[in-house]
Amino acid sequence: MPAEGLLALRNVWKRFHSGGTETVALHDVDFVIEPGQFVTLIGPSGCGKSTLFNIIAGLEEPDGDGSVLFQGQPQRHRDLLGKVSFMPQKDLLFPWRTVLDNAALALEIEGMPRKAARQKAAALFPEFGLQGFEKHYPRQLSGGMRQRVALMRTFLFERELLLLDEPFGALDALTRSMMQRWLLEIWARHRRTVLFITHDIDEAIFLGDRVIVMSARPGTVRCDERVDLPRPRSGEVMLTPQFLDVKRRLLAIVEEESRKTFSASA
Amino acid sequence: MNLLPVTVALAGLLALWELAIALFRVPGFVLPRPLDIATAVMENPGLYASGMLLTALEAIGGFAAGAALGFGLAVLMVLFRPLERALVPIAIAISSVPSIAFIPLALVWFGLGPVSKVAMAALAVVFVVLLNTLNGLKRPDREAINLLRSFGAGRLGILWRLQLPAAMPAVVTGLRVGLARSTIAVIVAEMLGAYAGIGQIIYQATVQVDALHVWAGVAVATAGSLLLNAVLVAVDRRLVWWS
Ligand SMILES: Nc1ncnc2c1ncn2[C@@H]1O[C@H](COP(=O)(O)OP(=O)(O)OP(=O)(O)O)[C@@H](O)[C@H]1O
Ligand SMILES: [Mg+2]
Repeated sequence: MPAEGLLALRNVWKRFHSGGTETVALHDVDFVIEPGQFVTLIGPSGCGKSTLFNIIAGLEEPDGDGSVLFQGQPQRHRDLLGKVSFMPQKDLLFPWRTVLDNAALALEIEGMPRKAARQKAAALFPEFGLQGFEKHYPRQLSGGMRQRVALMRTFLFERELLLLDEPFGALDALTRSMMQRWLLEIWARHRRTVLFITHDIDEAIFLGDRVIVMSARPGTVRCDERVDLPRPRSGEVMLTPQFLDVKRRLLAIVEEESRKTFSASA
Repeated sequence: MNLLPVTVALAGLLALWELAIALFRVPGFVLPRPLDIATAVMENPGLYASGMLLTALEAIGGFAAGAALGFGLAVLMVLFRPLERALVPIAIAISSVPSIAFIPLALVWFGLGPVSKVAMAALAVVFVVLLNTLNGLKRPDREAINLLRSFGAGRLGILWRLQLPAAMPAVVTGLRVGLARSTIAVIVAEMLGAYAGIGQIIYQATVQVDALHVWAGVAVATAGSLLLNAVLVAVDRRLVWWS
């Protein structure tokens, strides 16, 4: 693996122009992700997290100032399409597809015959706690289940880098903490590199090897903190002094940035 | 589908109709009794059946051609946006004129036979299906399209896996409105000039001031359109199977 890690962002900027006004969504974002790492990204609402993901997924072009390197190679616009598995903020399940066919969507697009795609997806159902729901339609599922289907669809698109945009944002606290532990188990078994957006500090520390805190808009890396809590992690870990120590430090920064967002919009 | 409520309502309506005629002594040329209308149809079943069959075939043929054309054009338009910008304003302009207004032209161009009726049925449906399909195809938002792009899908993949299924409810709305318009267009065209068909039967009876047979024709036409509609409802369920 080259010195730039799996993914490297160098001085990435993104400005949006609409109706004569310019919105700077990202300014000078700079970080490197090592293969196999679980990195969580936290920052106030509107600071450009989803925009950053769109850039890493190849959906949006960064401004000319900086560069994105993937596996050491500089990426131009659209080069990254089809190279990373991306789970957007909304689950975006298709109401006309069964749960099984929703999960198999990416495989079908990759050109796998429908039958084989279904078989491969079906094999993952027990692990994702969805056995018996293959033939259901999305509207028949609870929020937590929909999120798992969306995650499974992302997992089945087997790429080295996974981008998860607030996958548990809409879930209640209980479901959320179950899903977090479950995600860590899955990750431990499949060992992919994960970049995970969240609004929740506990979630960021509990899941991550590393927490990147973004500043209020225009978003940039405000702080990049290693989390050396031992794995596998259980819920108990959130009560350890080590966890609380990291949390105290991050909380101060996150709150400061959130306040900026708040006073800017007020 | 539960047919009981509508059956009861219909029976009640007919009973009320009979009752009103008996009570107020309404003369037959103003409003005939339902039973007399049914008898009029049954006295000459061949005439009404063949008339309705022709009308139905014309309506279905024109409807199918017009709907296919509208649907196909809409798909082409989302693939080639300049086409949309060029043609949609024209489509809206033409479709804001009631299609019935084109009947005299159709009769001049295509004669009094079935071709003019098929053309009118097609004209009556093409724009409503075109505009509805176009709206439906554009319904998926940026995020859903981006999801497919991130999986490496191209233009056609997005069309096939996202835009077409998402458009189906709108297509179905277009088809429903279009079918009603097609049947109306055919019947009116038959009244204005035709050799046969249920519209022509109604017209003939009108000319002969034969109210009973006007009613008989209207009754058969109504039954025919209801049947066509029922077939379309079954088709619609296959197009939007998930709701
Ligand atoms: N296509 C666009 N055109 C114009 N402005 C945009 C566009 N996309 C995003 N923005 C702006 O860029 C900023 C960052 O948006 P983004 O969605 O990345 O925020 P976020 O951090 O994901 O927020 P949240 O936590 O609420 O999801 C916002 O101010 C948003 O209005
Ligand atoms: Mg976001």
